Amino acid sequence: MATVDIYRLVKRYGAEEVIHGIDLAIRDGEFISLIGASGCGKSTLLRMIAGLEDISGGTISIDGREVNDVAPKNRDIAMVFQNYALYPHLSVADNMGFSLKLRDVPKPEISRAVKEAADLLGLTPYLDRMPKALSGGQRQRVAMGRAIVRKPRVFLFDEPLSNLDAKLRVQMRAEIKALQRRLGTTSIYVTHDQIEAMTMSDRIVILNGGRVEQVGAPLDLYDRPANLFVATFIGSPAMNLIDATTRRDGEQLFAETDEGVRMPLENHAVAEGTAVTIGVRPEHLALADVATPGALRIAIDLIEPTGHESHVFGRLGRHPLIVTHSGRVAETTSAGVIVAPGGVHVFDRSSGRRIDAPAASEGSEKR
Amino acid sequence: MRARLSTLPGRIGTAVAVILLVAWSLGPIYWSLVTSLTPPLHLLGTPSLWPQQISFEHYAKLFGATSMSQGNTVQSVWPQFSAALTNSLITSGLATVVTVAIAAFGAYAFVRLEFPGRDLLFVAVVATLAIPAYTVMIPLYRLMISLKLIDTYTGITLIYVSAFLPLALWLMRSVYQAMPISLEEAAWLDGAGRVYTLVYIVLPLSAPGLIASAILTFLNAWGQFMVPLVFSPTLATKPLTVLIPEFVTRNYIDFGLMNAAGILAIIPPVLLVLFLNRYLVSGLMAGATK
Repeated sequence: MATVDIYRLVKRYGAEEVIHGIDLAIRDGEFISLIGASGCGKSTLLRMIAGLEDISGGTISIDGREVNDVAPKNRDIAMVFQNYALYPHLSVADNMGFSLKLRDVPKPEISRAVKEAADLLGLTPYLDRMPKALSGGQRQRVAMGRAIVRKPRVFLFDEPLSNLDAKLRVQMRAEIKALQRRLGTTSIYVTHDQIEAMTMSDRIVILNGGRVEQVGAPLDLYDRPANLFVATFIGSPAMNLIDATTRRDGEQLFAETDEGVRMPLENHAVAEGTAVTIGVRPEHLALADVATPGALRIAIDLIEPTGHESHVFGRLGRHPLIVTHSGRVAETTSAGVIVAPGGVHVFDRSSGRRIDAPAASEGSEKR
Repeated sequence: MRARLSTLPGRIGTAVAVILLVAWSLGPIYWSLVTSLTPPLHLLGTPSLWPQQISFEHYAKLFGATSMSQGNTVQSVWPQFSAALTNSLITSGLATVVTVAIAAFGAYAFVRLEFPGRDLLFVAVVATLAIPAYTVMIPLYRLMISLKLIDTYTGITLIYVSAFLPLALWLMRSVYQAMPISLEEAAWLDGAGRVYTLVYIVLPLSAPGLIASAILTFLNAWGQFMVPLVFSPTLATKPLTVLIPEFVTRNYIDFGLMNAAGILAIIPPVLLVLFLNRYLVSGLMAGATK
């Protein structure tokens, strides 16, 4: 159990800088996810915390102690690798007890600790097996067992579920989360799967091109994305984006597209005539009769039924628009859509930053 | 491939190729065996594919205290033969152990440690494979004289190691390169140091590579002729490869004795390969990763 503090962290490979001064404070016992597209630096960041990559600038501290020059084995952290990295010539029990054996823990104590971890993970019947005689999910559990058996201060997970099939992934996701709650060990979890990040984390760090775009609780990121990158990264199907300009008509603020389509805004802190990008999540749009007051008329190109909901692909003027409709939709070529209250996100088009409505800015996430 | 093999002409072609290959490989050994079992007088007659009459006379000459040669009682060659056999075993064994040990650690450094000039140094070591042994023979001889290493196990072993190490190093380097680094990283995070990781994680998984290096080195050393001819002038270190041709005397070429000794000289490497072959298995890495 420990805090992890990252201060102005920089990573360079030769002349190329891949991590550009990241600051992050991870609280004791927290489950935090690092998420981003391939090459965003999330794995590099994790490996720097593990000590597997050198630090080019800035500091990493565990429990207040700077570990920049501390060897991986002395950082008291455990890592679960994407490919499990089990020792193929050792039995499951020996794999799990390897770190304790290295610490000269007496044999009876090792087998007790291994037994305890195996019970927790349902691995007891497999302790004498070799890794090659295990299924993918069991190997994944052994990798976890190897990490928990020595009670490290921090767990690091490097996309641990990406090699499992979809069904097993959902199951292991819940198991890892439950295990982490129970052990209360600070955990840093790298993934490219937003569902994993959303469902497991206390907080999520969204990385893009070696920079932090936003840090926050999962639902905060969903409800109040700080910028266009986060807005489109979190949520599936992705948020609809429409370019518009702000206009005032009496007391009411509007966003108006170049085709004259108007969307009313709440009291967003934005001057009239600002170029903005309007973001609306597909699930915050509802199909309605065209005659409904305030309904926007869209042309419909395609309807994708998924069973419990339908994705309607349409166009608002020139702008493509996706509507998630719960239930089924009859084939049609046009419809009206209504924006749910509070469903409109406004972003400054030049900077990509979120523009808040004053009422909504209370209780915003600081870090 | 399978389809082609299953047609009749394809199968005949394969069979012919295999027979030719086997005859090419085993023919000389068979001929040597037949010669070693043929009585001396018959050897002077028309050669035949199998012995008309089996005689262990040549083997008796190797093993017996005394034996008959051309109607005279002569001293057995056993003392010389056994000394040379011991020398062959010691020099080949030492060369193998030292070469594989250095290759196991050195190749790891070439793969996992970062130091300036790493790749250049590796290329330089491997490039020595291209230098013909004859060109370095005289300088090497002078060097060995000044080091007082002529006709010593140390001297012969050093020469063998310098000759066979590059190949073993090359082989082990590619073995390590194919190994996922996450296994080693997992061991480091588990608390293992570099050497511990190499010895307890990497080397057991590199067994096929180590065995292959050992077999190559041993067979190379066992078959060496020119190096011991120059550097092993006496029976203190003289191996079988140099001793056996000395059975040719001014008056008489003892074909039977040479072939009997040759057949016996084949046995140790065959046993070694049969023994090590059991460990030359694939699939050691199974289960390590997805």
